[in-house]
Amino acid sequence: MCCKKNIAIIYTISAIYLFPFLGITQTNIIQKFDASLLYAGIEVGSKGVKMSLIEVKKSESYNIMKDTTINTDFISFTQPTYSATLSAMNVLYDIAKSRYNIPLAQIFTAVSSGVNMQAEKENKLNWLDQLINAYQFNFNEPQRKVSIIDVREEGRLSHLGIVPDSRRYNTFLIDIGSGNTKGGYFPSGNITDFKLFQIGWGTKSTANATEKRLDTDKSLDNYYSQLGKVLISAENSEIIYAINESGSYPMSDNVAFSGGIAWALANLMYPELFDNAVVPVSYKEVFDFSEKLYKNHNLLSDYYIVQKLTDKTLNIEAIGKEIKRVNQVFDQKSLMAGTGLLLKIMRQFESVYERKNFYLVKNGSVGWVTAFVTQKTAK
Amino acid sequence: MKDAKSLLLLLVSLFLVLLSFVLLWSWGFRLYNKNESPILVTSAPASTEKKIISNNLQDSLQLFYNQSLTNLELQLDTTLINSDSLNIEIDKKLEEFYRLRNAIELLMLNHANSNDIRIAKQKLIELQAKVIELKDKNTIVENENKKLGELLSQLKNSETKSGKTISLVQVPKQGIEKTSQNFTGFAAMDLRLSAFSTNEEKEYETLFASQTEKLVGSFTVLNNSAQQAKVEMVVVIVQPDGRVLKTSGWESGTFETKEGKSIYSYKLNFNYLKGEPKHLLFSLSSDNFQKGIYTMQVFYNGTMIGKTIKPLS
Repeated sequence: MCCKKNIAIIYTISAIYLFPFLGITQTNIIQKFDASLLYAGIEVGSKGVKMSLIEVKKSESYNIMKDTTINTDFISFTQPTYSATLSAMNVLYDIAKSRYNIPLAQIFTAVSSGVNMQAEKENKLNWLDQLINAYQFNFNEPQRKVSIIDVREEGRLSHLGIVPDSRRYNTFLIDIGSGNTKGGYFPSGNITDFKLFQIGWGTKSTANATEKRLDTDKSLDNYYSQLGKVLISAENSEIIYAINESGSYPMSDNVAFSGGIAWALANLMYPELFDNAVVPVSYKEVFDFSEKLYKNHNLLSDYYIVQKLTDKTLNIEAIGKEIKRVNQVFDQKSLMAGTGLLLKIMRQFESVYERKNFYLVKNGSVGWVTAFVTQKTAK
Repeated sequence: MKDAKSLLLLLVSLFLVLLSFVLLWSWGFRLYNKNESPILVTSAPASTEKKIISNNLQDSLQLFYNQSLTNLELQLDTTLINSDSLNIEIDKKLEEFYRLRNAIELLMLNHANSNDIRIAKQKLIELQAKVIELKDKNTIVENENKKLGELLSQLKNSETKSGKTISLVQVPKQGIEKTSQNFTGFAAMDLRLSAFSTNEEKEYETLFASQTEKLVGSFTVLNNSAQQAKVEMVVVIVQPDGRVLKTSGWESGTFETKEGKSIYSYKLNFNYLKGEPKHLLFSLSSDNFQKGIYTMQVFYNGTMIGKTIKPLS
């Protein structure tokens, strides 16, 4: 109990200490539009609390100016992670209000579907209620509105936030998360009817299932071999059925992948497209990359990748930092698992008769919050 | 009396024959001795034991030196024969080689002590290193020659092909426009890049960067040589600052050229029928267009098949 209290204090202090740090970053904010309003979207996710600062012009154009995350791990449902989540929410709210002078009516808070689902699954919905109440009333600010988003709405908002209007009705968006994969598309030519797609495999769950099969041989060769079996099982049991059932194949010209693994691959495969939020990719390119991951993972270090860049107009330092971050978040085995899962999904869209355009989305994490905010502003 | 005379003559002739034999034998013996003398083992000079060891070492070193020299000279010869484009460098190396060889020979001629032997060994190692260096240089030159040879043959082939299909390429309308046909048979023509502005939902062409809201590019492609079903072409718009124009990640990406990975501004996918002139059009919007010259390049299979420029003031 004593230890738990200490951890709670550490989490809270670390969250509070982020306040001045985040404050420094405000000077870096550059507005893109002339006559625009600044909005803040605070999202309570499975891994942490995220805030996106969005510049909106006439409810039509928007620009994501900043996004910040404080890792709190709320879905562990322990006292320390609860306290840390609450502190992070308060800290980010205060930053939006005090540092960026955003009016309270322009700060929106939402709880992601992943958190809600996990709370339901573990019978911890009261933790969620308590968190929202504490956030609204501890500072006596009941005007702090909190929305709980369901999975379909999150998928729909992600599509609206990530995919441009010109590709709204011919793009199938798939978010490969750590524990599951979800997404969908608009089949009827309007943004209310959203066809949801879900499978119970994500990057982490694929890696975990592979680890379980390793037995005593923990070698990479055995991991590679077992991963193949896990992926075949996932493909046969869920992927083929879920994609057929979604009816997305004939309806979509473009298939866009978001999530951590899409961000990682986009950066490792196309460092020269560092400032692109989305990068086009082909099945063959991802397949070749998966082989490189297994056979030559060393070549994916920030040192090697940056060394190969010859274009002098590129921001080499920023590219190197981002690749380093990718390698800190994903180790070789996680990358192999995520890439393998991505390939299995892509394969369902590969055909000799029709060519689908594949894309890797880097800024998927701010997608649904952005759409959530822009929809609220439109109202 | 007669018998006695003939007997005397016989004896004299026998004596002369014997004498000639003796003379012949002694001349032969002398000659034989003269040939044998250099290989006769001479006894060691009556000096100190140290000197004997030193001489033995010198002999072995001499033998090692002679062998090395023979090998090195052989290697050097082959190296020299092959490395025609590195004459100046080789001459320098050769000078160094001969300098080292002379130094070693000098050491051999003087009665070598252990110190000299050490120096000689060092020099030999240096000599070997120099030859290895020459060999490496030669390999590089050989590879470069090979690459150049391949490039030349490729150029010759493409020249021949473009010569055959020159009639496919129409005379460009704009003076600044360049068209070409790559070895795969596609020719790009009528390349045009225009800047547009919008006013009251009507689009009009502009020459000013500050008014430009989008760039619209168009060109026509033709291929008479091969049946193509699905074709993919990329367009690169180079901005005045040298960067490739990228409007959003959905349009731009990377493609492979002979020089390596490049960024494209727009990708065009289309179905093509042999001999059909295909008109292609694209537009790229941006919030900020720079003043200066924009270059539009059209690539097929990593090879540029057309180029035009558009200045914006």
